[in-house]
Amino acid sequence: MTKKAPVLFDIGWNACINCGACVAICPQEAGFVSAFDTIAVNTPCDIACMLCEDICPVVTITHRPAAANSTTS
Amino acid sequence: MPATPHYDIVVIGSGPAGATTARYAAERGLSVLLVDKRQELGAPVQCSGAVSRHALEEVGIPLEAEFIHEAIFGFGIYNQAGEQKKIDYRLLKPEEYGPEAPKKPLGYVVDRRRFDRYLMTMAERAGVEVWLKTEGLGYRPQPDGSCRVYLRRFNEEIELSAKVLVGADGLQSQVGKWAGLRTHMKITELASCLQFVVDHVETDGLLEIITGHEWAPGGYAWVFPKGYGYAEIGLGVIRTMADDGQSAQEYLDKFIRQSFFKERFADCRVLEIQGGGVPLAAPLRQQFADNLILVGDAARHVNPITGGGIHTALSGGRIAGGFLAGLVDEGRAATEAELEGYQQSWLDELGTKMWKLYDTKTDIFRESDISVRDERLYATMSGYFSPDSEYKKI
Ligand SMILES: Cc1cc2nc3c(=O)[nH]c(=O)nc-3n(C[C@H](O)[C@H](O)[C@H](O)COP(=O)(O)OP(=O)(O)OC[C@H]3O[C@@H](n4cnc5c(N)ncnc54)[C@H](O)[C@@H]3O)c2cc1C
Ligand code: SF4
Ligand code: SF4
Repeated sequence: MTKKAPVLFDIGWNACINCGACVAICPQEAGFVSAFDTIAVNTPCDIACMLCEDICPVVTITHRPAAANSTTS
Repeated sequence: MPATPHYDIVVIGSGPAGATTARYAAERGLSVLLVDKRQELGAPVQCSGAVSRHALEEVGIPLEAEFIHEAIFGFGIYNQAGEQKKIDYRLLKPEEYGPEAPKKPLGYVVDRRRFDRYLMTMAERAGVEVWLKTEGLGYRPQPDGSCRVYLRRFNEEIELSAKVLVGADGLQSQVGKWAGLRTHMKITELASCLQFVVDHVETDGLLEIITGHEWAPGGYAWVFPKGYGYAEIGLGVIRTMADDGQSAQEYLDKFIRQSFFKERFADCRVLEIQGGGVPLAAPLRQQFADNLILVGDAARHVNPITGGGIHTALSGGRIAGGFLAGLVDEGRAATEAELEGYQQSWLDELGTKMWKLYDTKTDIFRESDISVRDERLYATMSGYFSPDSEYKKI
């Protein structure tokens, strides 16, 4: 398996219906969740399997490379 | 320092599985704490709410108007072209099923907000202590055979002691992960679901299930009566089987505008939007660890053909609550070895049948010829809901 680059997720809250499907499919260890019961948005994901994006029924999860953001406080 | 409060059982999650586990354990005299992170149970709704009357009666739930949206009398199963197999128990067994007493409905569509609150109230009246706005954060087995449970309640961090922790925290379950259980699901086995509660769509006391790759690849679409003249239109898709990677939202839009129901749906007005994931997966191979068991969606106790999980959550709760009462009564230790007995009772009563359903389902979706697969799914669904089905009770 190729090593994936860590990503940070962005959730379009306007479309999110709070259904929890992204958390349900996520293979991260316990606690990789946001305060709104979605996958985490402030912590980079180093697995980067993108299953959360695939399962979202309203396609409201996007990502960007975590490294580009790592210099911000 | 005051002693850490101790309970026989702490249950995380007050859905159908958790509230039922807690109630059965408390009825047998155990001290039980039931916690849920939500402020209002069942909300936001992530469920269509269809459940058989048998499932409710089996766990002693009164058939109350408080949570019932509408009575159900059978099924309409459609193939991709719109041909229907009607399984209407009002016609099949007219002496038994019907709207007027002493005849009875086959099942109900319930309001999960009211239903989950009702189940919590039943637990509370049986002696369970209930805390809302309380999130489970972790647990740690102790050398003395108990475990510590870490909670956050209205921002306050709380540490408790318990003999057994029950993870009834639904599909997004974190409790199983705390114990290192293999809870991970495959993307090919989690249906991505979206549904609308709508006005101006007629229904007739039947749960309508629409099969066919074109409408819902890997899953099916549904039209359920929702009471007061409302209906639910929804579907679940397996994203890896979807054409051009289309989402549930795109499929639902297509189903409403382009399917053989497009005239029926022409005036539909959306009143609520709900969604979620439905595991069309096998039950977890291991649903227990030291001081811990899982029940309901958290243990993947979901019917892999229908995606229904209320009945299995309720029965699982009854089995879990009864088992834990026995464990505490007999003074047995809450070790992994002892708690395996819970999974064994569950397998004996329900699980083995669910594994069989899982094999049937896997076999259908392994079929690479789409039209053959569609035909098999249609035939299996029709058979599943017919009066002579061997799975009538799950
Ligand atoms: C769109 C859709 C439609 C469905 N339709 C049907 C249907 O018609 N019929 C049917 O039988 N099934 C249906 N299901 C499946 C059904 O909803 C579930 O199987 C059922 O709700 C499982 O019950 P449960 O008690 O295991 O979990 P849940 O009902 O999910 O309850 C889990 C509870 O745990 C709480 N919780 C989670 N984490 C924590 C934590 N860390 N701390 C504290 N509390 C926590 C949650 O707030 C929640 O209240 C549907 C599912 C979906 C997504
Ligand atoms: S990419 Fe995979 S591991 Fe990372 S948050 Fe999404 S589902 Fe979880
Ligand atoms: S899967 Fe999508 S809609 Fe559902 S909670 Fe996650 S981000 Fe929100």
